[in-house]
Amino acid sequence: MAQVLVVDDSSTVRNDVCGFLTANGLTVTPAIDGKDGLEKLKGDHAIKLVLCDINMPNMDGLTMVEKIRSELKNTSVNVIMLTTENNSSMKERGKAAGIKGWIVKPFNGPAVISSIKKLVA
Amino acid sequence: MSANQLLVSKVMILDDARAHSESLKAFCEECGLVGIRPQRVDESGVVAILDSNVALGGILLYENFGGEAGNGLKLARKINESRPELPIFLRRDSIASVAGLSEKDAAMFRCAYTLEDLQQLRAVLDTSIFSRIYPAELVRGIADMTRTSLETLFRNCDVVVETPYLVKDRVIYGEVFTMISIDSNWCRGYMMLQASEEYLLELLRRDSNGETVSVREMNNILAEATNLIWGSFKNRYAGHNHCVSNLACIQVPIIINHKRSYISFGSEDPQLCFKYSLWERNRADACAVPIYQRFIFNLNWSPEEFRENPTVESLVDSGEIEMF
Repeated sequence: MAQVLVVDDSSTVRNDVCGFLTANGLTVTPAIDGKDGLEKLKGDHAIKLVLCDINMPNMDGLTMVEKIRSELKNTSVNVIMLTTENNSSMKERGKAAGIKGWIVKPFNGPAVISSIKKLVA
Repeated sequence: MSANQLLVSKVMILDDARAHSESLKAFCEECGLVGIRPQRVDESGVVAILDSNVALGGILLYENFGGEAGNGLKLARKINESRPELPIFLRRDSIASVAGLSEKDAAMFRCAYTLEDLQQLRAVLDTSIFSRIYPAELVRGIADMTRTSLETLFRNCDVVVETPYLVKDRVIYGEVFTMISIDSNWCRGYMMLQASEEYLLELLRRDSNGETVSVREMNNILAEATNLIWGSFKNRYAGHNHCVSNLACIQVPIIINHKRSYISFGSEDPQLCFKYSLWERNRADACAVPIYQRFIFNLNWSPEEFRENPTVESLVDSGEIEMF
């Protein structure tokens, strides 16, 4: 049972982010792409926050978020995108799918930890 | 400053005219050429440079290099057989043309020149090696964003970038490379990062405080570097709302020959290259670990359409959350 789902095809990013969040008292589960993320979320109802990349193989992050809402019917889990993308049309698409926030990589744990903790509280 | 004055190109100089070495050197500097001379004035010296994976833009070859009449032609045939993509510029004693050479030999050379008229060579160099204009803002921007991305991932290193250069070579440096496509309304092609597995792995292992770093982890770190740079490039230079035209479906085969460390994207145009050296801060005896970056805009290159994306006053820096 985890509080945060970290979805990124880069093991470097997964290790970095999961390691930081764990060190800050959060329970975390990783996923390697959008498809894996959907499966992990389906199987763990305790997850309160998804930190998700966009550019991933098999299923991209924005599609995953849309499917969380439409197929899993999960409108309560909070989602923050963690991505290299910084363009307005992608942000609009994310907002339409109900995401809570956007972080442009690289991940800066200390800058975001308090916001993350509020979203899993 | 004109767009290409930021760029140089490495050329192998196979010319032993001592009396003219200073004027040749001055000419190379004027043209943005960085000359590399073999340590041995024979075929083995030339092969040593070609095998060292120095990415070259071309070769300046004297017809009678090595003191023997016609020796230059023999070398040219060897070079042309193994590296036909490298333009060779032939210096002759008295004729600034390929007259008197067989048709097959003449076809190996971009031009012939004499020391008395280097400006003719200059014109051909411009069309052969410096045939592409790369906007200065683009060149500077790439160096900055790449250095920042590498410093993010290699936290114990200072990253130094050398003067970027143009290459015609199709060699791959090292054993590990990443490749990602770049797509915008003004350029289409690929970006590569190339590195030596041994040097990079050693660097990562020294930085890991005793933890094991596997080859896969090293691969992933290089992949993430590629991702960060690509993202920065897209955010800064790729039009976010550019029309996907019919050109977007154009592709050409990429050829890789691992045995010969060769990669071709089907284009003869010079590629834009950067060399980044990673220097470990806490090790005075450390050697720099190089990472080479190449941009191959083989599918579309329209620098007249190049624009930097308008800077939006952002209240949020990268790494921080923009809350909605």
